[in-house]
Amino acid sequence: MKNLLNFLVEVGKLKRMPRMGWVLRGIDNPETIADHTFRMTLMTWILCCKKKLNISKALKMSLIHDLCEVYAGDTTPFDCILSRKGKKGKNIFNKWPRLSKKEKEIFFLNKCKKENKALRKITSKLPPKLRKEIINLWDEYEKGLTLEGRFVRQVDRVENLLQALEYWKKGKKFKIEPWWIQIEELVDDPLLLKFIKVLEKRFHKKK
Amino acid sequence: MTEEKNFYLTKEGLERIKNEYKSLKELKLAKTRGESPKILQSEDLNPEYLVFQEDISFLESRMTELDNIIKNAVLIKTPRKEKQNIIDLGATIFVEVGGQADEFTLVGSLEANPAAGKISNESPVGKALVGHKAGEAVVVSSPIQTTYKIKKIKYITS
Repeated sequence: MKNLLNFLVEVGKLKRMPRMGWVLRGIDNPETIADHTFRMTLMTWILCCKKKLNISKALKMSLIHDLCEVYAGDTTPFDCILSRKGKKGKNIFNKWPRLSKKEKEIFFLNKCKKENKALRKITSKLPPKLRKEIINLWDEYEKGLTLEGRFVRQVDRVENLLQALEYWKKGKKFKIEPWWIQIEELVDDPLLLKFIKVLEKRFHKKK
Repeated sequence: MTEEKNFYLTKEGLERIKNEYKSLKELKLAKTRGESPKILQSEDLNPEYLVFQEDISFLESRMTELDNIIKNAVLIKTPRKEKQNIIDLGATIFVEVGGQADEFTLVGSLEANPAAGKISNESPVGKALVGHKAGEAVVVSSPIQTTYKIKKIKYITS
Protein backbone atom coordinates (compact mmCIF):
# COMPACT_ATOMS: atom_id res chain seq x y z
CA MET A 1 0.00 0.00 0.00
CA LYS A 2 2.91 2.34 0.74
CA ASN A 3 4.05 2.08 -2.89
CA LEU A 4 0.56 2.81 -4.17
CA LEU A 5 0.39 5.91 -1.98
CA ASN A 6 3.80 7.06 -3.18
CA PHE A 7 2.65 6.65 -6.77
CA LEU A 8 -0.49 8.73 -6.12
CA VAL A 9 1.54 11.44 -4.39
CA GLU A 10 3.84 11.66 -7.42
CA VAL A 11 0.90 11.69 -9.86
CA GLY A 12 -0.65 14.48 -7.76
CA LYS A 13 2.13 16.75 -9.00
CA LEU A 14 0.25 16.95 -12.29
CA LYS A 15 -2.39 19.01 -10.46
CA ARG A 16 0.20 21.72 -10.01
CA MET A 17 1.99 21.50 -13.36
CA PRO A 18 0.74 24.08 -15.87
CA ARG A 19 0.53 23.12 -19.53
CA MET A 20 3.59 24.55 -21.24
CA GLY A 21 1.83 25.72 -24.40
CA TRP A 22 -0.17 28.26 -22.36
CA VAL A 23 2.79 29.31 -20.21
CA LEU A 24 4.80 30.08 -23.35
CA ARG A 25 1.92 32.18 -24.69
CA GLY A 26 1.62 34.14 -21.48
CA ILE A 27 -1.83 32.89 -20.41
CA ASP A 28 -2.59 33.88 -16.80
CA ASN A 29 -3.25 31.02 -14.41
CA PRO A 30 -3.30 28.38 -17.16
CA GLU A 31 -4.82 24.92 -16.89
CA THR A 32 -2.68 22.18 -15.40
CA ILE A 33 -1.87 18.83 -16.96
CA ALA A 34 -4.41 17.21 -14.61
CA ASP A 35 -7.09 19.72 -15.69
CA HIS A 36 -6.54 18.70 -19.29
CA THR A 37 -6.65 14.99 -18.41
CA PHE A 38 -9.92 15.45 -16.52
CA ARG A 39 -11.86 16.96 -19.41
CA MET A 40 -10.16 14.79 -22.00
CA THR A 41 -11.25 11.65 -20.12
CA LEU A 42 -14.84 12.90 -19.90
CA MET A 43 -14.71 13.72 -23.60
CA THR A 44 -13.38 10.24 -24.37
CA TRP A 45 -16.22 8.69 -22.38
CA ILE A 46 -19.12 10.65 -23.83
CA LEU A 47 -17.83 10.39 -27.39
CA CYS A 48 -16.79 6.75 -27.06
CA CYS A 49 -20.44 5.86 -26.40
CA LYS A 50 -21.14 6.66 -30.04
CA LYS A 51 -18.43 4.29 -31.27
CA LYS A 52 -17.70 0.58 -31.20
CA LEU A 53 -14.75 0.86 -28.87
CA ASN A 54 -13.66 -0.69 -25.60
CA ILE A 55 -14.70 2.20 -23.34
CA SER A 56 -12.94 0.93 -20.22
CA LYS A 57 -9.69 0.62 -22.13
CA ALA A 58 -10.06 4.05 -23.75
CA LEU A 59 -10.79 5.71 -20.39
CA LYS A 60 -7.79 4.12 -18.73
CA MET A 61 -5.68 5.19 -21.68
CA SER A 62 -6.87 8.76 -21.38
CA LEU A 63 -6.24 8.81 -17.62
CA ILE A 64 -2.65 7.63 -17.94
CA HIS A 65 -1.67 9.35 -21.21
CA ASP A 66 0.24 12.21 -19.51
CA LEU A 67 1.54 10.44 -16.37
CA CYS A 68 5.03 10.45 -17.85
CA GLU A 69 5.02 14.25 -17.72
CA VAL A 70 5.60 14.18 -13.95
CA TYR A 71 9.25 13.50 -14.82
CA ALA A 72 9.49 14.19 -18.56
CA GLY A 73 7.74 17.56 -18.46
CA ASP A 74 5.23 18.83 -21.01
CA THR A 75 6.68 18.77 -24.53
CA THR A 76 5.07 21.12 -27.07
CA PRO A 77 5.30 20.89 -30.87
CA PHE A 78 7.17 24.20 -30.73
CA ASP A 79 10.06 22.87 -28.60
CA CYS A 80 12.07 21.90 -31.65
CA ILE A 81 11.86 25.43 -33.07
CA LEU A 82 12.33 27.10 -29.68
CA SER A 83 15.61 25.32 -29.16
CA ARG A 84 16.66 26.41 -32.64
CA LYS A 85 15.65 30.07 -32.32
CA GLY A 86 16.04 30.60 -28.58
CA LYS A 87 13.60 32.60 -26.54
CA LYS A 88 13.64 35.52 -28.97
CA GLY A 89 11.16 34.02 -31.35
CA LYS A 90 7.87 34.83 -29.66
CA ASN A 91 6.25 35.18 -33.10
CA ILE A 92 6.79 31.51 -33.73
CA PHE A 93 3.42 30.81 -32.08
CA ASN A 94 1.68 32.62 -34.92
CA LYS A 95 2.36 29.70 -37.21
CA TRP A 96 2.07 25.95 -36.84
CA PRO A 97 5.67 24.61 -36.77
CA ARG A 98 6.74 23.02 -40.03
CA LEU A 99 9.58 20.52 -40.12
CA SER A 100 11.13 18.13 -42.60
CA LYS A 101 10.01 14.51 -42.34
CA LYS A 102 13.39 13.57 -40.93
CA GLU A 103 13.17 16.29 -38.25
CA LYS A 104 9.65 15.12 -37.32
CA GLU A 105 10.80 11.51 -37.00
CA ILE A 106 13.75 12.45 -34.79
CA PHE A 107 11.62 14.76 -32.62
CA PHE A 108 8.95 12.06 -32.23
CA LEU A 109 11.45 9.31 -31.39
CA ASN A 110 13.27 11.47 -28.83
CA LYS A 111 10.00 12.48 -27.18
CA CYS A 112 8.86 8.83 -27.08
CA LYS A 113 12.15 7.72 -25.57
CA LYS A 114 12.14 10.44 -22.90
CA GLU A 115 8.50 9.83 -21.96
CA ASN A 116 8.84 6.05 -21.95
CA LYS A 117 11.75 6.33 -19.51
CA ALA A 118 9.74 8.69 -17.30
CA LEU A 119 6.70 6.41 -17.34
CA ARG A 120 8.82 3.42 -16.33
CA LYS A 121 10.23 5.47 -13.47
CA ILE A 122 6.90 6.64 -12.11
CA THR A 123 5.36 3.16 -12.33
CA SER A 124 8.46 1.33 -11.08
CA LYS A 125 7.07 0.43 -7.65
CA LEU A 126 3.57 -0.54 -8.79
CA PRO A 127 2.50 -4.21 -8.83
CA PRO A 128 3.93 -5.74 -12.06
CA LYS A 129 0.54 -6.47 -13.64
CA LEU A 130 -0.69 -2.92 -13.15
CA ARG A 131 2.61 -1.47 -14.28
CA LYS A 132 2.57 -3.48 -17.49
CA GLU A 133 -1.02 -2.48 -18.19
CA ILE A 134 -0.17 1.23 -17.82
CA ILE A 135 2.96 0.97 -19.97
CA ASN A 136 1.14 -0.98 -22.68
CA LEU A 137 -1.84 1.37 -22.73
CA TRP A 138 0.52 4.30 -23.11
CA ASP A 139 2.36 2.56 -25.93
CA GLU A 140 -0.92 1.89 -27.76
CA TYR A 141 -1.86 5.53 -27.32
CA GLU A 142 1.48 7.06 -28.23
CA LYS A 143 1.99 4.93 -31.33
CA GLY A 144 -1.71 4.66 -32.26
CA LEU A 145 -1.48 0.88 -32.36
CA THR A 146 -5.17 0.15 -31.72
CA LEU A 147 -8.57 1.68 -32.47
CA GLU A 148 -8.71 3.01 -28.91
CA GLY A 149 -5.16 4.36 -29.13
CA ARG A 150 -5.86 6.24 -32.34
CA PHE A 151 -9.16 7.61 -31.06
CA VAL A 152 -7.85 8.78 -27.67
CA ARG A 153 -4.80 10.37 -29.32
CA GLN A 154 -7.13 12.46 -31.46
CA VAL A 155 -9.41 13.32 -28.51
CA ASP A 156 -6.27 14.72 -26.86
CA ARG A 157 -5.86 17.14 -29.78
CA VAL A 158 -9.53 18.09 -29.85
CA GLU A 159 -9.59 18.85 -26.11
CA ASN A 160 -6.55 21.04 -26.69
CA LEU A 161 -8.41 22.83 -29.51
CA LEU A 162 -11.42 23.42 -27.23
CA GLN A 163 -9.17 24.88 -24.52
CA ALA A 164 -7.39 27.05 -27.09
CA LEU A 165 -10.73 28.37 -28.36
CA GLU A 166 -11.85 29.18 -24.81
CA TYR A 167 -8.65 31.12 -24.01
CA TRP A 168 -8.73 32.79 -27.42
CA LYS A 169 -12.35 33.87 -27.02
CA LYS A 170 -11.61 35.25 -23.57
CA GLY A 171 -8.57 37.38 -24.24
CA LYS A 172 -7.48 37.03 -27.90
CA LYS A 173 -3.92 36.95 -26.60
CA PHE A 174 -2.71 34.66 -29.36
CA LYS A 175 -3.57 33.64 -32.90
CA ILE A 176 -6.01 30.77 -33.20
CA GLU A 177 -5.03 29.90 -36.78
CA PRO A 178 -2.28 27.37 -35.90
CA TRP A 179 -4.80 25.23 -34.00
CA TRP A 180 -7.17 25.05 -36.92
CA ILE A 181 -4.34 24.29 -39.32
CA GLN A 182 -2.96 21.45 -37.22
CA ILE A 183 -6.35 19.91 -36.44
CA GLU A 184 -7.07 19.47 -40.16
CA GLU A 185 -3.91 17.36 -40.40
CA LEU A 186 -4.15 15.48 -37.09
CA VAL A 187 -7.73 14.30 -36.96
CA ASP A 188 -9.33 11.78 -39.29
CA ASP A 189 -11.94 10.18 -37.05
CA PRO A 190 -15.39 10.95 -38.58
CA LEU A 191 -17.06 11.48 -35.20
CA LEU A 192 -14.38 13.88 -34.02
CA LEU A 193 -14.47 15.73 -37.34
CA LYS A 194 -18.21 16.25 -36.75
CA PHE A 195 -17.49 17.47 -33.24
CA ILE A 196 -14.92 19.90 -34.63
CA LYS A 197 -17.59 21.36 -36.92
CA VAL A 198 -19.72 21.99 -33.82
CA LEU A 199 -16.76 23.75 -32.18
CA GLU A 200 -16.32 25.85 -35.29
CA LYS A 201 -19.96 26.98 -35.22
CA ARG A 202 -19.82 27.76 -31.51
CA PHE A 203 -16.63 29.81 -31.50
CA HIS A 204 -16.56 31.35 -34.96
CA LYS A 205 -20.23 32.18 -35.42
CA LYS A 206 -20.53 35.44 -37.33
CA LYS A 207 -22.57 38.03 -35.46
CA MET B 1 -15.20 -4.04 -32.04
CA THR B 2 -14.54 -4.53 -35.74
CA GLU B 3 -15.25 -2.23 -38.64
CA GLU B 4 -16.18 -3.41 -42.11
CA LYS B 5 -13.94 -1.29 -44.27
CA ASN B 6 -10.79 -1.47 -46.30
CA PHE B 7 -7.54 -0.79 -44.52
CA TYR B 8 -4.89 0.80 -46.71
CA LEU B 9 -1.47 -0.31 -45.56
CA THR B 10 2.10 -0.08 -46.71
CA LYS B 11 3.99 -3.35 -47.13
CA GLU B 12 5.85 -2.68 -43.86
CA GLY B 13 2.61 -1.82 -42.05
CA LEU B 14 0.91 -5.03 -43.16
CA GLU B 15 3.99 -7.01 -42.20
CA ARG B 16 3.93 -5.50 -38.70
CA ILE B 17 0.24 -6.37 -38.27
CA LYS B 18 0.82 -9.96 -39.46
CA ASN B 19 3.78 -10.37 -37.12
CA GLU B 20 1.78 -9.07 -34.19
CA TYR B 21 -1.07 -11.44 -35.01
CA LYS B 22 1.35 -14.36 -35.24
CA SER B 23 2.93 -13.49 -31.88
CA LEU B 24 -0.45 -13.16 -30.21
CA LYS B 25 -1.55 -16.49 -31.60
CA GLU B 26 1.55 -18.12 -30.13
CA LEU B 27 0.96 -16.31 -26.86
CA LYS B 28 -2.64 -17.47 -26.69
CA LEU B 29 -1.60 -21.03 -27.43
CA ALA B 30 1.03 -20.88 -24.68
CA LYS B 31 -1.48 -19.40 -22.25
CA THR B 32 -4.13 -21.98 -22.93
CA ARG B 33 -1.52 -24.69 -22.46
CA GLY B 34 -0.71 -23.10 -19.13
CA GLU B 35 2.88 -22.43 -20.08
CA SER B 36 4.81 -19.34 -19.19
CA PRO B 37 6.59 -18.49 -22.44
CA LYS B 38 10.08 -17.07 -22.23
CA ILE B 39 8.98 -14.16 -24.36
CA LEU B 40 7.05 -12.81 -21.37
CA GLN B 41 10.03 -12.83 -19.07
CA SER B 42 11.94 -10.28 -21.07
CA GLU B 43 11.73 -6.59 -20.22
CA ASP B 44 12.91 -5.82 -23.75
CA LEU B 45 9.86 -7.29 -25.43
CA ASN B 46 7.82 -4.88 -27.50
CA PRO B 47 5.34 -3.85 -24.81
CA GLU B 48 2.19 -3.87 -26.94
CA TYR B 49 2.08 -7.64 -26.56
CA LEU B 50 2.37 -7.68 -22.82
CA VAL B 51 -0.96 -6.02 -22.08
CA PHE B 52 -2.59 -9.32 -22.83
CA GLN B 53 -0.46 -11.30 -20.44
CA GLU B 54 -3.06 -11.52 -17.70
CA ASP B 55 -6.24 -10.98 -19.62
CA ILE B 56 -7.20 -13.45 -22.30
CA SER B 57 -10.21 -11.41 -23.38
CA PHE B 58 -7.99 -8.45 -24.22
CA LEU B 59 -5.81 -10.79 -26.20
CA GLU B 60 -8.76 -12.18 -28.14
CA SER B 61 -10.23 -8.78 -28.85
CA ARG B 62 -6.91 -7.56 -30.25
CA MET B 63 -6.62 -10.72 -32.36
CA THR B 64 -10.11 -10.13 -33.76
CA GLU B 65 -9.16 -6.56 -34.60
CA LEU B 66 -5.95 -7.65 -36.33
CA ASP B 67 -7.70 -10.48 -38.16
CA ASN B 68 -10.26 -8.02 -39.49
CA ILE B 69 -7.48 -5.70 -40.65
CA ILE B 70 -5.58 -8.51 -42.39
CA LYS B 71 -8.75 -9.76 -44.14
CA ASN B 72 -9.65 -6.27 -45.36
CA ALA B 73 -6.14 -5.02 -46.02
CA VAL B 74 -5.44 -3.26 -49.30
CA LEU B 75 -1.75 -2.93 -50.03
CA ILE B 76 -0.63 0.55 -51.05
CA LYS B 77 1.11 0.14 -54.40
CA THR B 78 3.40 2.55 -56.15
CA PRO B 79 1.44 3.98 -59.09
CA ARG B 80 2.59 3.57 -62.69
CA LYS B 81 5.29 6.03 -63.73
CA GLU B 82 2.88 8.25 -65.70
CA LYS B 83 0.68 8.61 -62.59
CA GLN B 84 3.49 9.39 -60.16
CA ASN B 85 2.94 13.13 -60.61
CA ILE B 86 -0.46 12.79 -58.90
CA ILE B 87 -0.94 12.62 -55.13
CA ASP B 88 -2.26 9.30 -53.88
CA LEU B 89 -1.65 6.97 -50.95
CA GLY B 90 2.03 6.34 -50.38
CA ALA B 91 3.15 9.66 -51.83
CA THR B 92 5.62 11.83 -49.97
CA ILE B 93 4.52 15.38 -50.57
CA PHE B 94 6.68 18.48 -50.32
CA VAL B 95 4.56 21.56 -49.74
CA GLU B 96 4.79 25.20 -48.81
CA VAL B 97 2.28 26.42 -46.24
CA GLY B 98 2.23 30.07 -45.20
CA GLY B 99 5.77 30.53 -46.46
CA GLN B 100 7.11 27.49 -44.60
CA ALA B 101 8.32 24.25 -46.16
CA ASP B 102 6.78 21.01 -44.93
CA GLU B 103 7.00 17.39 -45.92
CA PHE B 104 4.80 14.38 -45.12
CA THR B 105 3.72 11.01 -46.43
CA LEU B 106 0.09 10.19 -47.16
CA VAL B 107 -0.90 6.91 -45.50
CA GLY B 108 -4.04 5.02 -44.48
CA SER B 109 -5.68 5.79 -41.14
CA LEU B 110 -4.02 2.82 -39.40
CA GLU B 111 -0.52 4.05 -40.07
CA ALA B 112 -1.16 7.76 -39.63
CA ASN B 113 1.11 9.53 -37.19
CA PRO B 114 1.26 13.24 -38.02
CA ALA B 115 3.89 13.82 -35.32
CA ALA B 116 6.19 11.51 -37.27
CA GLY B 117 5.27 12.95 -40.68
CA LYS B 118 2.54 10.50 -41.71
CA ILE B 119 -0.83 12.07 -42.51
CA SER B 120 -4.04 10.10 -42.93
CA ASN B 121 -5.77 10.11 -46.30
CA GLU B 122 -9.03 10.46 -44.31
CA SER B 123 -7.99 13.71 -42.62
CA PRO B 124 -9.33 16.94 -44.17
CA VAL B 125 -5.84 17.82 -45.49
CA GLY B 126 -5.23 14.30 -46.80
CA LYS B 127 -8.60 14.24 -48.58
CA ALA B 128 -8.01 17.67 -50.11
CA LEU B 129 -4.56 16.79 -51.47
CA VAL B 130 -5.45 13.50 -53.18
CA GLY B 131 -5.55 13.79 -56.96
CA HIS B 132 -3.52 17.00 -57.18
CA LYS B 133 -0.22 17.55 -58.96
CA ALA B 134 3.01 19.42 -58.29
CA GLY B 135 2.63 23.10 -59.07
CA GLU B 136 -0.98 23.19 -57.93
CA ALA B 137 -2.30 24.97 -54.85
CA VAL B 138 -4.88 23.33 -52.61
CA VAL B 139 -7.00 25.37 -50.23
CA VAL B 140 -8.23 23.70 -47.05
CA SER B 141 -11.04 25.55 -45.36
CA SER B 142 -11.80 25.49 -41.70
CA PRO B 143 -12.71 28.80 -40.09
CA ILE B 144 -9.51 29.93 -41.73
CA GLN B 145 -8.22 29.13 -45.21
CA THR B 146 -4.88 27.40 -45.53
CA THR B 147 -3.16 27.06 -48.88
CA TYR B 148 -0.91 24.08 -49.53
CA LYS B 149 1.37 24.82 -52.48
CA ILE B 150 2.50 21.46 -53.83
CA LYS B 151 6.20 21.61 -54.66
CA LYS B 152 7.12 17.99 -55.26
CA ILE B 153 5.59 14.51 -55.13
CA LYS B 154 7.74 11.47 -54.53
CA TYR B 155 6.92 7.76 -54.43
CA ILE B 156 9.28 5.18 -53.06
CA THR B 157 9.63 2.61 -55.80
CA SER B 158 9.82 -0.96 -54.60
